[in-house]
Amino acid sequence: MRSRWLVGFVMAGVVALAGCSKSADVTLYEPGVYKGPVDPLVEKQRSPQQQEALLARFNQVQTDR
Amino acid sequence: MARMKFLCDAERCIECNGCVTACKNEHEVPWGVNRRRVVTLDDGVPGEKSISVACMHCTDAPCAAVCPVDCFYTTSDGIVLHNKDLCIGCGYCFYACPFGAPQYPQASAFGVRGKMDKCTFCAGGPEADGSAEEEKKYGRNRIAEGKLPLCAEMCATKALVAGDGDVVADIYRKRVLKRGGRPQTWGWETAYKA
Repeated sequence: MRSRWLVGFVMAGVVALAGCSKSADVTLYEPGVYKGPVDPLVEKQRSPQQQEALLARFNQVQTDR
Repeated sequence: MARMKFLCDAERCIECNGCVTACKNEHEVPWGVNRRRVVTLDDGVPGEKSISVACMHCTDAPCAAVCPVDCFYTTSDGIVLHNKDLCIGCGYCFYACPFGAPQYPQASAFGVRGKMDKCTFCAGGPEADGSAEEEKKYGRNRIAEGKLPLCAEMCATKALVAGDGDVVADIYRKRVLKRGGRPQTWGWETAYKA
């Protein structure tokens, strides 16, 4: 009987303390710092090939008639 | 490195709203949200002028400066983008933006405001380029496909130009030289008009 009380007490303690754990998903914001996922386009836009492709597209479509 | 910019030539814009329609169609922009709009000065008066306005992808973007959750980021060529998963729809960016670019779709009943939506320069968001998730949240990613914003590419009179700021400036400079002067659509005469 005494061991049942002990087990019950331990279980209740575990459940009560479970809410005290720290979630790893919390984002602490800092001024001016983007902390979201990195956009793959950011890296792509750095490549000279992509820049050339966009310039070629501009010259093909948007120059004066 | 290029710096992507929009330029609208008021002498050429005929207020056809083709850019607005192209944008809404390309990105499936919901009802009530306009990422781009045509503004007419002195509407109905002889000499009226129109310009097409959207997010101008500012170099020092005030929307990013005031965002409490820092959901904005800028690509290496100056395109200002945002993350809708981080956005809390507070509306600060709308107050900060001098162009009225940020838009808020109605999220649910009773006018509850949703996540901010704005022109992405047809560059999507932080999700994988061309993914269904990106298209659903931000519209099509034409930049990743090697294309430029559809609003500018669709412009019949080439009033709206979008691309590398240096190349855009060269085109506009040539036009101004050909016309023999700068229009007074904006500037001192407009700002201090009685």
